[in-house]
This record gives sequence, structure tokens and C-alpha cells, in this order.
Amino acid sequence: MSPSASSPSRVPVEERLFSLVLALLATETGLTKNEILSTVQGYRQRYVAHGDNSSLERQFERDKDDIRELGVPLETVESPGDAGNNQLLRYRIPKGAYDLPADVSFSPEEITLLGLAATVWREGSLSAESRRALMKLRSLGVEADEPIVGYAPRLRVRESAFEPLSQALERHAIVRFPYLKPGESASRARTVAPLALVQHQGRWHLHGTDQDAHGPRTFLLSRIVGPVTVTGSSFRPEGSDFAAKALADLEHIWDSNVAVIEVAAGTDASTRLGKRHGDTVLPGAEGDAVRLSVHYSDSNILADQLAGFGPEVVVLSPESLRNAVRDRLLATARAHGYRADEESVAGSADGAGHDG
Amino acid sequence: MQAQDKLAFLLALVPYLMDRDRVSVTEAARHFGVEKSQLRDAVRLIAVSGIPGETNAYQPGDLFDIAWDDFEENDQIVLTHQVAIDDSPRFSAREAAALIAGLQYLSALPENADRDVIGSLMAKLARGSSGAPSEVAVARSETDETLATIRDAVAAGTQVEFDYRNSRGERERRRVDPLRIESIDQDWYLRGWDHLRTALRTFRLDRIDGLIATDQPITYRPGDLKLPETLFEGTPDDLLVTIEVSSSALPLIDDYIPDGSPREEHDGIVRTQLRVAHFHGLKRLVAGLSGVLTVLEPPEARRVVAEWAAAGADRYR
Repeated sequence: MSPSASSPSRVPVEERLFSLVLALLATETGLTKNEILSTVQGYRQRYVAHGDNSSLERQFERDKDDIRELGVPLETVESPGDAGNNQLLRYRIPKGAYDLPADVSFSPEEITLLGLAATVWREGSLSAESRRALMKLRSLGVEADEPIVGYAPRLRVRESAFEPLSQALERHAIVRFPYLKPGESASRARTVAPLALVQHQGRWHLHGTDQDAHGPRTFLLSRIVGPVTVTGSSFRPEGSDFAAKALADLEHIWDSNVAVIEVAAGTDASTRLGKRHGDTVLPGAEGDAVRLSVHYSDSNILADQLAGFGPEVVVLSPESLRNAVRDRLLATARAHGYRADEESVAGSADGAGHDG
Repeated sequence: MQAQDKLAFLLALVPYLMDRDRVSVTEAARHFGVEKSQLRDAVRLIAVSGIPGETNAYQPGDLFDIAWDDFEENDQIVLTHQVAIDDSPRFSAREAAALIAGLQYLSALPENADRDVIGSLMAKLARGSSGAPSEVAVARSETDETLATIRDAVAAGTQVEFDYRNSRGERERRRVDPLRIESIDQDWYLRGWDHLRTALRTFRLDRIDGLIATDQPITYRPGDLKLPETLFEGTPDDLLVTIEVSSSALPLIDDYIPDGSPREEHDGIVRTQLRVAHFHGLKRLVAGLSGVLTVLEPPEARRVVAEWAAAGADRYR
């Protein structure tokens, strides 16, 4: 059962890709494109000597991308005497850069924990990467400890912007997207050099350099209201640990923003609020109410959350948050047919309402 | 599997087989979590693959080989010749980032609180990656003693008891066989057998108060009951409401839209339906999406929402 016996159309894609990886791993000096197309299994069956191989060449370009996406370090080496000549470019996979370093090994306990970490991305973005990473871990042959039963933790990315942004992040490509700032009626196109994607308080943020404002900015993915365009231009990131720094910044904002709210005892709000980190019960509420100080990183998000609790919560300070929650509740009431002549709320005719 | 995943599998399988003199198809398939037929296909492909070699003709010495008789007759894999590959491949930058972010998220679990294993694992993944891991990070999600207590009860197989306030605002003492702790982002849930309702139920951890662990063994084992895949199951008693929602906010409520509901969109507004257990949950959802989501039908749902929001606004008089 020799491979050459198989007919041209019968070589499966994975066999061609596998053969290409093997051939490039085995060569020290590299192979030219022509050598690859004329000799490697899966290409050679379709190769036309002295003829037009342009579709095969395009196939090779796509295959290279697929292979690199798996983390395989497929290198291009220029011919020393003839730099810039594409026909003389040589391709190879250096073994030292391909092999998992010998000192990277995992105990059964670590394999178990990594297995659980991989299941966190059960759907959507990064789930394929998690699966493949697990496969590579299994190739080490270490059996996991007792499985961690009783847990099913999950990270979920609802925003469609995540996938293109994470691709751009890796390629250091400039992105453009329409961003709707709260309180503004229309979105505005932003051009950003993406540096990190971070989840804080359950929400995904993009941290990057705004190309128009020429400064660092953090964007909520849920406010990206249209498709993300990954532009052809790339940039060189200056610095490191962008994700850790972006998280530290968000944490700092969270710590320094404090609202004081009053929560009716014995309600859903009193059960749930005050359990977030940094939140504390304050003395001084009257009757059946509890006074809480709550932290936040974005006043519009907190206003949405507090509005959901309806009459169970009153914001005492800051004033801007008080107004934001009241306006939201009024708008909701009106949008659902609460008629102005029945309205017992005075002094709030600010036009924020919607007509149902 | 896509061709790319199949390639990743082949590159992972070769070093695994090299490390073993002999392994059964059953054992290898179990280890990789694949079907036996998938594993056999992969072994067959490896066995006929190799490098062009000096003759460019894929001569036998340039190919992998296996003990074919053992394979065909005994379902055993013995690699007898290898080429080009000696070791497991590195992780890609995105693969390493996916695992690192997953580990960061898991650092919230009580058993990981004081362990440096997560930090050392993250460093190893970074070293084992072919490019610097992508800058993706997840803040530690906040968990409290509730999670630790329930976790211990799940491990011990004992019942727990707690006050639970549902979205109607009603509070009841519940006794539950804790079966599994689940989470979505920063929200944590307990799934278990509810002795009060005699049914499987999902509880939000932040709605639990007055939790105590009992030494009463649970009545159902986790394997006895099949937990549905989705956290929230619809019931025949659910109510349907018609809504209009900004298309950009659609993902936020996707869980509540029944499969097959019509979705008409124009000017960035989508008209569709939501499935709710009662209007008390709905009013909270809608008041939290002011200006983004409006209930159109039925009138009763609109009234409940309007009164809830008006009562809230009334507190600012």
C-alpha cells in the first residue's frame, strides 16, 4: 500500500498537511516551493512539470496558514546570495522550535486542572483552540488524576466582535469598528491598535491604542455595534503584560468608584446586592432598609443593573447615578404604556422616555 | 473533525505511540477521547506517511511503519519505524492563551485559592508555546464561602439547606441534593435535586442565604439523574411575550428566545418572542434593559413591567 498508488484526487487534506509537516521537519536547509510541490505527497500528484501550477501554489499558501495556526513554526529562509527572489525561498520547520521543550512536563494533578481549564471554553471562540491544546497535552501520555467532578465552569463570549479582535490581537493588526458611547445617539468609527482582551466583572473589554486620540483606551465589547474590520496595516506593540495591566486599571477604577444605595430588606435586591467584591453594609438606614456602598467600573452598567431591581433599590449618591437610574425607570414605564396623566412622578419630564 | 484538527491529532498521536511499545486501540482511543474508528483511521494514515527521502519516491525506509498483523488481527498498535517527529508539538499562541485564561478563571475555585500550581502552570504553558501567548486575561471571579460549603457537600455527597428567594420575591427554606456547581462568567449556580419541589432545580448562588451543610446523605447520586445540558429548561407552563429589541442587544436575551421564534428585523430593531416562567422575572429583565427592549404583547406583561418601573421611579420623588 504505497502512497503513490493512490490517485490524485484521493489524497485526503490531512494526509497532504501531515506529509508537508513531516517533509519540512526532516529538512535542515529547507525546501523550495518547487521542490515541495513536485515531491510532497498530496501535491506531487497534481504537479505539472514545466506547466502552470498556480492553483497548486495557492493551495500551498493556504496550507501554510493552516499549519502555522496550529502553532507549528513554519519558517521561510531567503537564499543567501539572492535575497528577495521568491523562487529561491526555502521553507522548513526547525525541530528545536517545533518540539515542546524537554523541561515542560506536567504532573497528573496538573493535567487534571488543565483539562478543567480547557472545558471552560465550551462554545464559540477559543473552544477549538482549547480542544487542540488538550490533544497536545494528551500526546504526553500522562494520565489525569481523579477527574474533578461536580464542576462545570464556563466562560461565554456573546459578542461577535471577540473572534475578529482576538485574531487581530495575535497578528498585531489595526482594527476598525463602530462604537456606541452611552448617551450618544449614533455610533462613531474607532480605529484601534489592539493590545489585550480582558474579562472584568463578567464583561469583555478591548484595550488598545486609539489611533485618532493617540492614546490608550478601553472599550466594552458589548458597545461595538457593527462588524469589526481587520485592516491590512500592522503595528509593533511597545511594552508587555498588556492584559494584566488592563485588568489592574479596571480594578483600580472599580475600587475608586463608589455608589451609596438603599435596599429594601427582604427583597431580591437585598439578597443579591452587597455580595460583589468590595461592597459593604453601611450604618444609618431607617426602618426596613439596608444601606450599602457598591463599587462599579461603568456607571451605565450599574445603572442598568440597579434599574432592574425597580422599587427595591434607591440610589443616594452620586447624583449622576441617581438620575441615570430614575431616567431609565421612567423611560421603561412610559415605553410600556404608563400614561402621563396617571404618572405620580413629578419633575422628570426630560424627554428620555420612549413611546410604546 | 476538520482537516486541521485531524492534522493536530496526527501530530499528537505519533509521540504518544512512540512512548509506548504497544498499546491497544481501545486504550489509545480512551486516552484521546476519540472513537476507536477515528483512532484506527489515524494509525492507518500514519503508517503509510513519511518523507520524500533522497529518491523523492517515498521509499519504505522513509515511511512510518507499524506491526500490521498486530494491528489488523489484535487491534494493537506497535510503531516499528518512525521518521521526522521525535516530540510533542508546542502550543500555538492562542491555544496557550485559551488554557491560561481558563486557569485564571478557575483560580476562583475554593480548592485553588492558596495554591501556586496555577501560577506555575501558566508559566509552563507560556514556555511551551511557539509564540508569546495572546494577551487574553480573565479577572478572578469573586466567590464566597457559599461556594466552598456547597463544593464540600458535593464532594461528600451530603444534603444542604438554605433560604432561597426566587424572582417573585418569595422566600423559602430549601433542602437540596447538590449535584453540580456551574458557572457562566461571574454568575455561579447550583444544580440539584430539590426536596421541596421534588424536581431538578437550578439555584443562583447569590440568591442563597442561611446556607448550612447537613450530614444527611444525598438521595440521588450525580449519575442517577441526567442533568439537562442547558441551565434553564423551558416548561409547558411558560408564557410567551412579544418584544422589540435593539439587534445589538439580542445576544443578551438569546437564552430566553424559544427555538424557531420568528425574528423580523428592520432599522436595527428586532421583533421576536421571549419565553418566561412568569412576568416577575420579565419585569426585572426589561427594567434592566431600558431603551433597548420593549414588551409589546400581552397587555398583562406590559402592565406588570410598567408598574414595576413606575414604582421604582416613584422612589425618586
